[in-house]
Amino acid sequence: MTPASDNIYLPKLAVLDRVQDEIPEVKTFYWHFEDPDEQRRFKRFRPGQFAQVSVFGAGEFPLSLPPSPTEEETFFTVRRVGTGTAALHALKPGDRFGVRGPYGNGFPMEDYYGKNLVFVAGGIGLIPLRSCIVYAMAHRQRYGRIQIFYGAKRQSELMYRADLAQWEKSADIECHLTVDRADPTWKGHVGVVASLFQQPGVEVPVDNTIAFVCGPPVMFRFVIKDLLDMGLPGHCIVSTLERYMKCGVGKCGHCCIGVAYVCTDGPVFTYEQIKKLGEDI
Amino acid sequence: MKARLLAAADVLRIVDLLRARGYEVIAPFRGRGRDTFFDTVTDANRDRIQLHLPNPYYPPKRYVLPHIERLLRVRQADGTFRIEPTFEETRRVLFGIRSCDVAGIWHLDRFYLGREFRDPYYERRRRNLLLVNMVCTDPELDIGEECFCPCADTGPAAREHFDLQLMDLHDGRFMAVAGSAAGEELLAEPIFRPVTAADVEKRRAILAAVRNRFKTTTSWFAATVRYVSQGKILDKTWEEIGNRCLECGGCTYVCPACTCFTVSDRQAGPDEIERVRIWDACALGGFTRMAGGHNPRRAVHDRRNRRFFRKLAHYFIQRELSVACMGCGRCAAVCHGDVGMPSVVEMIRRATAETEKIAPVAP
Repeated sequence: MTPASDNIYLPKLAVLDRVQDEIPEVKTFYWHFEDPDEQRRFKRFRPGQFAQVSVFGAGEFPLSLPPSPTEEETFFTVRRVGTGTAALHALKPGDRFGVRGPYGNGFPMEDYYGKNLVFVAGGIGLIPLRSCIVYAMAHRQRYGRIQIFYGAKRQSELMYRADLAQWEKSADIECHLTVDRADPTWKGHVGVVASLFQQPGVEVPVDNTIAFVCGPPVMFRFVIKDLLDMGLPGHCIVSTLERYMKCGVGKCGHCCIGVAYVCTDGPVFTYEQIKKLGEDI
Repeated sequence: MKARLLAAADVLRIVDLLRARGYEVIAPFRGRGRDTFFDTVTDANRDRIQLHLPNPYYPPKRYVLPHIERLLRVRQADGTFRIEPTFEETRRVLFGIRSCDVAGIWHLDRFYLGREFRDPYYERRRRNLLLVNMVCTDPELDIGEECFCPCADTGPAAREHFDLQLMDLHDGRFMAVAGSAAGEELLAEPIFRPVTAADVEKRRAILAAVRNRFKTTTSWFAATVRYVSQGKILDKTWEEIGNRCLECGGCTYVCPACTCFTVSDRQAGPDEIERVRIWDACALGGFTRMAGGHNPRRAVHDRRNRRFFRKLAHYFIQRELSVACMGCGRCAAVCHGDVGMPSVVEMIRRATAETEKIAPVAP
């Protein structure tokens, strides 16, 4: 009999340390587990995995993990969209909530050693990719070229400002930003993310490259088309899917698409796999 | 497997024996008309237990996976929470459960206890559960219009996964077969007598005969599993099926093999909430709707497609080593749009046969 402590549905108590505003309606919540052993166990997560977060009384929902396991702190970045996320946004430092995980396959970052990494993110699609970017930067010598293409609706909606500033300055990484609509103070590129590929001086490596794509469905479709047109094969394009989930462990059935459970078989899939699943992104 | 005989008059004494051993015994009863249901046996209703009756629509699945089940009790005090899992570990017997439902529980075992994660709530209920299977032998009372267990290979007599199996020999005697150590232990009771070769032959003859007494419902899975697994089903066919679905979720709620649930927190007291899981149905519009409103499965046929794909795709049959349809016919009986499993299999076969039609050979 499975011991009661191995209850797959049992959240562990976490303490909210501090809250940081990212962009309108999006905040980053720094937290730690009450139990230091649990914290150590959890910290072995891989980029691209996710956690089930409980705000007691409001419910439980999946959140991707934006920190890299190479970083000290654990945090979530969350847009307020529904009941659960609104309840999370209402929490104050010191408040307790529940976390269980990490779940899912995550990005196989070890398989990508020696390859060029191209990160393409739109809006809050940067949240799950931040983990991989920071991870790759921490193991910089193991990867080839690293490029970031990131776009948001407007300048005020570019998130992880401090990280972006650091990546833009860094000689180790090529960071290209864009906004759909320029504010008077915006000096950079204007246009959708995919338009960055055509910018003078931008050259996306095609051979020996893995492209990470995350963003709203419409951006996803255009970026995928461009990458395929450039000659990147479908199995070298990876993304992480988002689904309504209730358990995170392959039981509740909500995230099952085609022959895959997004929670246990995913959330990371190659474009080759996504095509075969046969459902909207 | 060990077999014994007992007098028809002694069958309910098995219930008494189990109750005396501290089990809560669940047995089938008759309501009004077609209505039949499973209920806890008490001294008051013990004599009204039915051995032959139409299988209740509300499946006995709920004794391993309740319609609404509390998972956690969370108490708030001093700025923190005390989270306490609430397990239910009543020792229980499902008495008179049909072979299709035995197969259904086996399927749930495969799903909830197999693979990487084990469901501790399901596990505790299941470990404390005995199954006393009743073979369907009465063509009028046991076998409904929609029954098609021979097509799903689950009945009319389960071959395994029960603790004790009872079969009416229709001569004032029942044959009992033990399927587990717990069942064998029961056979040591003095109400059981040894069987002869003639009794075994009689059992075989009754089973052979009853297989021919099934009604008109059939469901020829094999080809349909192949069509679904190979992605040969046209969108048009899924749409036709979807157009007939009224999105009531009834098929899922009566299905002995459906596993989906949703989880919800509800207030249980001033400083206490409880987390419950509730059966969910892929037919319902909100099943895949995410916060913010994006729903990757918008059209009703996407959702119907889901139910039958999940049950018929070879991948999942391999995954659980069990087809998620037991042939109980409940979905066919409750569906207002006539898109229960037998009809869907039929629609898929007909549509695919049409597209794969080979041109007639010229004389």
